[in-house]
Amino acid sequence: MSETRLTAPEQLNNATGAQLYEEAKRAWRAGAATLLLDLAPTRDMDSLGGAWLLKIAGDMRRRDGEFKWEGHQEAIADFMTMLEPALQMKPKKPPKPPGLFDSFTDTLVNFVGEFGEFMGLCVDTLYWTAVAPFEGRGFRFNAFMEEAHEMGVRAVRIVCLMNFLLGLIIAMLSAAQVAAFGMQIYVADLIMIGFARELAAIMTAVVVSARTGAAIAAEIATMKVQEEVDALRGMGINVVQYLVTPKVAALIVVLPCLVTLGLVSGVAGGALWGVLVLGFRPAVWYQQTLGAAYMSDIMQGMLKTFFFAIAIALIGCHNGLRVRGGSRGVGLMTTRAVVMDIFMLICIDIVFAAIFYYWLE
Amino acid sequence: MDDIIIKVTDLVAHYGEFKVLDGVSFEVKRGEIFMIVGGSGCGKSTLLKHLCGLMRPTSGEILYNNTDVAVMDADELAEMQHGIGIAFQSSGLFNSMTVGENVAMPMREYGNVDKVLVDDLVRFKLSLVGLAAAQHLMPGELSGGMRKRAGLARAIALDPELVYFDEPSAGLDPIMAAGLDDMILKLKRMLSTTFVIVTHELDSIRMAADRVLMLDKGEVLFCGTVEETKTSSIERVRQFFERRPDEFITQGNLS
Repeated sequence: MSETRLTAPEQLNNATGAQLYEEAKRAWRAGAATLLLDLAPTRDMDSLGGAWLLKIAGDMRRRDGEFKWEGHQEAIADFMTMLEPALQMKPKKPPKPPGLFDSFTDTLVNFVGEFGEFMGLCVDTLYWTAVAPFEGRGFRFNAFMEEAHEMGVRAVRIVCLMNFLLGLIIAMLSAAQVAAFGMQIYVADLIMIGFARELAAIMTAVVVSARTGAAIAAEIATMKVQEEVDALRGMGINVVQYLVTPKVAALIVVLPCLVTLGLVSGVAGGALWGVLVLGFRPAVWYQQTLGAAYMSDIMQGMLKTFFFAIAIALIGCHNGLRVRGGSRGVGLMTTRAVVMDIFMLICIDIVFAAIFYYWLE
Repeated sequence: MDDIIIKVTDLVAHYGEFKVLDGVSFEVKRGEIFMIVGGSGCGKSTLLKHLCGLMRPTSGEILYNNTDVAVMDADELAEMQHGIGIAFQSSGLFNSMTVGENVAMPMREYGNVDKVLVDDLVRFKLSLVGLAAAQHLMPGELSGGMRKRAGLARAIALDPELVYFDEPSAGLDPIMAAGLDDMILKLKRMLSTTFVIVTHELDSIRMAADRVLMLDKGEVLFCGTVEETKTSSIERVRQFFERRPDEFITQGNLS
């Protein structure tokens, strides 16, 4: 076994530390299995010098070599005591990202686990919203009203504006397509049917998920991070009853109302284009629109919104409650909630489209 | 080099209409552990925020190495702040980075540290606060005391000549708190750093403080060594250091 003895400089700083590192390098190139550092001459050491010392020890241990030191004096004894654990251990590599197979199984396990949690939340919410109030276990009516105001009344302007603009866009688009056939009056039908069946519900739900879904996730995630959720639990208050139920109930009530307003503003947007640009008399456009308005279409569009409301509220709460870590976790979970919201909206919509346009035709 | 590192003269500060600091003056000597104490809400943390330039005073002077922090522009202030270290009450670690990355951040951002040496310097600093094994953990995985020490490691990342530490031992058990005080004493000796510490732990003061500044209702009540507190002529100072309650609380408890 070969041992190489190095003598430390009197002042261990950046320059002398680098020198010492070069000497050490030469030593292990020459095949030294053990480095013995004689610290007897050293009187003083600064941070960069200490860092070089750690670098020598670390590189030595990475080569499965030994690093020892001896003879340190009073002046740097404190340093050596504090550095001892770091000098003794092999520097750890940052943990590696998992491989392909591991990450696949991890994903699967995580997905199943998360799905279970989500189902649990659904069942709890169902109980605390639809059953518990009738058993006399309470419903936070004031919170429900506050949420309904925040989610509904304060969203009216943006929902109406977005639907109005979408109505305009659809009118422009379709009028240009059918102009060659002289069938521009049917744009009124298209807009009425389109908004009643799909567009009002989807557009409104997207606006609401970006607005309310994100807010729910961020609020609950922040509460969780700051241990407010634990505080609730510690008081013996059910988190689902206290936080989730008022939000779900409020959104179920409020979203259909918003969609109704969205429907009216979308049709109004189309009418604006039809009357001002396509040049129809208002009464003609009005009659044509009414002729295309079927209750069944409107009801079909409305039915979806209840499912949208439940999805947006529950996904927001679910992601909020799953948060880990601090501020970054809150951001991640909020993003995730909105992405999942919009994905779920489309999924629900596809199911409804399949039922109403395929099986029930 | 000048012996005085900080000299505060007639510092007045407001939160809106409310006057928090009312004519505070004191000096901090180079290389000492200077503790700022006082009851809750007396303006300790506010004073600290003014010292490190996070807040601007209404009037008064804060001389740091003979330049006034109160009138610096943004660039000068940043320059000054690069030369000091601040450890916050709730540690202020970035949650999205590992402990090691947190400590490396000042080195990489403005430290001019040789890139090959950053990792070892990080391990050196973490060793000084006894966290060598925690380099790759996330702040969320640390206990309260470890987080405080990690915050301290980040504060001393670039060997600042001055470190501000807000409530080092708040929320720690006595052993951990004593360990932290011991660590501060060692760091002061090893790196010859000046520490300005806000605290209300009497034990820390007795163990580590060179000099103490006591604030009360935004005014300086006392400034001197720990020994001098025992013989102070001011009743309130002796009351604080002998840990006696106010009269009305005692009576309130009896009735």
